[in-house]
Amino acid sequence: MNPVGKTTAWVALAASLAWGAVATGPAVGERVPDFHLRDQNGAEHDLHSILGPKGALLVFFRSADW
Amino acid sequence: MEQNRARIAAQGLGLAAISYDSVAVLKTFADREHIGYTLLSDADSKVIRAYGIFNDTVPKDSFAYGIPNPGTYILDAHGVVVGKYFEDDYRVRDTAESILFRQFGIEPEPRSSVAAKHLKIAVEGGETPVRPDQRVTLAVDLQLPERMHVYAPGVTGGYIPISFKLSPSPAFQADPVTFPASKTLRLEVIHETVPVFMGRFRLLDTVTLAGPQQVQPLLDAQGNLPVEGDLRYQACDDHECYPPETVHLKWTLQVLAFDRTRAPESLRRKQ
Repeated sequence: MNPVGKTTAWVALAASLAWGAVATGPAVGERVPDFHLRDQNGAEHDLHSILGPKGALLVFFRSADW
Repeated sequence: MEQNRARIAAQGLGLAAISYDSVAVLKTFADREHIGYTLLSDADSKVIRAYGIFNDTVPKDSFAYGIPNPGTYILDAHGVVVGKYFEDDYRVRDTAESILFRQFGIEPEPRSSVAAKHLKIAVEGGETPVRPDQRVTLAVDLQLPERMHVYAPGVTGGYIPISFKLSPSPAFQADPVTFPASKTLRLEVIHETVPVFMGRFRLLDTVTLAGPQQVQPLLDAQGNLPVEGDLRYQACDDHECYPPETVHLKWTLQVLAFDRTRAPESLRRKQ
């Protein structure tokens, strides 16, 4: 990583540690962004397609591999 | 999450998970773990960025570059956030069961009844296996006969309020206990109003399991973690108050090791 990139990374890391909390995205009361993604079988989904009659749990996880 | 899929669907809720893995990696994982719900591939992290949860502390040349800050949104039927569960520590995760319990009050079958004076007690929660660093919600379900009450926290005048405390253990960190809203009861004889619980109600305590190093030595021969605590209460009816009682309660959590199985080499993320 070039020196400027390294400094930026350290600043970002220090900032997130100093402020304590990680960014967690849309707040309660906000509508989440739409998306168009493929699932494990190659089928396409958008936000509307994953919502049930009462809503949905939408989970973000790091990796299925490690 | 897969174990709770039926209960989630029964609530009329959809379920989907997003990661930066390729479709192929997600397919391998879904087949191996027999996952029936939707896993979505956000391989260029476009959606992760759009949600504002891109982990920018990971170096660009790392295979992990592109991951999100992990967590769960509870959405209503219009896609509006009604709850969210993100932890500061990236290793700690709420279990689906814990979220279902706390957000929707979904009750699993009462795990076991406990003999107690004046009221019925059942312990619930912790049925599905958990992993180190996960959070799990334990519940004490109480049922009082008619005309009986117990005192809620905050009561004054020498009454003993109901309390629950888990025995401290290096294997977990317990949140403060959650109590339901109390009712106000007027005791005519002494012209007092007091906060009470009546009928059926539930106390919840969410605990965060420690890492594998702390949990492992405390597992029993079956690989289970005993979690114990004391419930204290004073039951009264409209004539008299009975002596305070202390009841020892126990949960047995089945603890799984971390899942360290990798996708086949050819599918793995390089840089």
